[in-house]
Amino acid sequence: MTRFVLRRVLWALVTLVLLASIAFFAVNLLLPFDFAVGVGQRPRAVEAIREQLGTDRPLVVQWLVYMANFVRADLGESYDGERVSTLVASVLPTTVAIFAVGGMVAYLLGEWIGRVVAWSRNRFFSGASSAGSVLLFTAFPPWLVFLLIYFGQDRLFQVRSWFGLDPKPFGPVPEGPLLNVLAVGLVAAFVGGILLRGWAWRNDRRVLGMLAIPIGLAAFVASLLSLGVWAAAIDRLLWPSAVVATIAIVLIAFGESMLVMRAGVSAEMTEDYVFTARAKALPERSIRDRHVAPNAVLPAISRLITSVPYLITGLIIIERELHLNGVASLFFQAIESGNTPIIIGILTIVGLLGLVLRIVLDAIQATIDPRIRIEGEAV
Amino acid sequence: MTDDTAVEIEYDHEIEGWADTRKKIRQSKMVVAGVAILGVFAVLTFIHPVLQATIWSSKPGVYRPETGHDPAISHPSGPTLDHLLGTDSLGRDVLSLMTYGLRPTFLVAVATAVSAGVIGLLVGTTSAYFRGKYDRVMTQVADAFVLLPPPLIFLIASKRGLLGPFALGLLYGLFFGFGPAAIVVRSRALSVMEKPFIDAARSVGGRPSWIITHHVVPHVIPHVAVVVLAGVVGALVTQGFVEFLGIAEYRYGLGNLVYNALTYRTALGTSVPWSALMAGALSISLLASSFYMISSGLREVTDPRRGSRRI
Repeated sequence: MTRFVLRRVLWALVTLVLLASIAFFAVNLLLPFDFAVGVGQRPRAVEAIREQLGTDRPLVVQWLVYMANFVRADLGESYDGERVSTLVASVLPTTVAIFAVGGMVAYLLGEWIGRVVAWSRNRFFSGASSAGSVLLFTAFPPWLVFLLIYFGQDRLFQVRSWFGLDPKPFGPVPEGPLLNVLAVGLVAAFVGGILLRGWAWRNDRRVLGMLAIPIGLAAFVASLLSLGVWAAAIDRLLWPSAVVATIAIVLIAFGESMLVMRAGVSAEMTEDYVFTARAKALPERSIRDRHVAPNAVLPAISRLITSVPYLITGLIIIERELHLNGVASLFFQAIESGNTPIIIGILTIVGLLGLVLRIVLDAIQATIDPRIRIEGEAV
Repeated sequence: MTDDTAVEIEYDHEIEGWADTRKKIRQSKMVVAGVAILGVFAVLTFIHPVLQATIWSSKPGVYRPETGHDPAISHPSGPTLDHLLGTDSLGRDVLSLMTYGLRPTFLVAVATAVSAGVIGLLVGTTSAYFRGKYDRVMTQVADAFVLLPPPLIFLIASKRGLLGPFALGLLYGLFFGFGPAAIVVRSRALSVMEKPFIDAARSVGGRPSWIITHHVVPHVIPHVAVVVLAGVVGALVTQGFVEFLGIAEYRYGLGNLVYNALTYRTALGTSVPWSALMAGALSISLLASSFYMISSGLREVTDPRRGSRRI
């Protein structure tokens, strides 16, 4: 298993270098305007700025310099003299938290509903859930955001008022160290909850399995309370645009995992081992959750891997719509000013996130299915 | 005489295989529903010039897609007999706008499907056939392309000039073809390469190009269809976004329709009727879902693991 993951990580590094190179050339060749021309007024000033930034050298030399920095995990400086890594790190928490939490909630919901619908063999539910989830998966993100705000705004403000928070206009979440802590904590709470749930399932502790996610969230809330940042934290957690973005991601991502899970369960339902389990008079729920579901989960996870780019696309559109201070906003600023290093940096970081996600999902698949592990080592 | 019978049998067998697949496809509800929705939208696209020539021809100024205006009523208005989907804040007929806006959408769908299919087939089959270093390199390239989100690339490209439907479709197809399509085609082609008929073709001295086009490609075509149609889903949503942002070459796309409806609502505070608000967004989403349904229906038909293993 360790060897499998190590091998994947090694190849991922190669992919990352390649990705950065593709991004470098694509951006430098595609982006028409020159930062120096935009800033410097006279030809000599433009020349001086170009020399200072190093953009007067041939593109291949620039690429070599960039890659030399890149392999030392340095994304370089933007043309305004700020570290690209700092800039990206300042917008990353919002994006990562929304995407990770939204994705995990969507997967959990989809897996559960898909399992239940397939097992019930109810044709009406089955048809309605297919139509609904396909429409959700292909929903046009700005439209979805509009609907959520139109119908959910009042309710969201009401929830905010329960915690004594004033209804806030939509807009960027206030930045600061607290936001980073919240993003990491929230993702950790969900990951911990899911791991606990998996462990509980394998060891047949049904109640613990059902309570795993709430336990993770409770631990998160408890740690916020003990840190004494509860008031500021709940304000950011219930920030209207962040909540709307997360719900939108859940709705978009939920459909596909539900469909794949349902198809998987209904394909497995007629297998011999289910017949055997019924003959042994095992309870239906036990057959469904402990015997059938693990076999159906694999295709659901692998489809999740393939639809990650599509979901990231959706997230970018949603962030742009809600004026969130995520990766998309920085990207738009950088494009307007022709700040090439930031653009390349963002493309690389988004790619890196996708890579990390794929390795994690691959590792999960390999733990569930030994065949993948062996094939992976044979290559 | 004997030769004739041999040919006959082979022919029969082939027909039977296709008939079987066709039957399975017809039984798949997803495919049937998807094709039905796609058919409705295709009819809507072609109906626009027909309507302009016939029903709308008496009042061409009212129903012109971009500059039309009906002076007889106040705008925006809800659905009426004259305007089946109502009119927007500028007094344009929404049905006319929507059917006109479907044109670039279909162009993008076709351009994406063709370019992604061709690139995916080319890269996937050659890397499965030749293996070795070339395969390693192409796999890495595919992995890198999967990780680049197309909307961001479109934003960069739009700085060079606004994007027409063909540019949009080809660019998306390029990314999808080198990325996901190549990965899927390669993995399917690899399993075809293990089949004995490939060895047979090699041992009688078949050239690589012959073996690939005549033995590998026909076996991976169904899988190409599945993955390419799934790519069209992403392309349509991304196209909607590009039009929504106003970086498309044209101003009459479905995304523009959504943008206009939402902006009039939020900026001017006018109560735009739901017919105008929904037309663009629902068209994008229904059209994309028709491709999604056909793709996932075909996937179930072509996936060997989902055979008719039933007790």
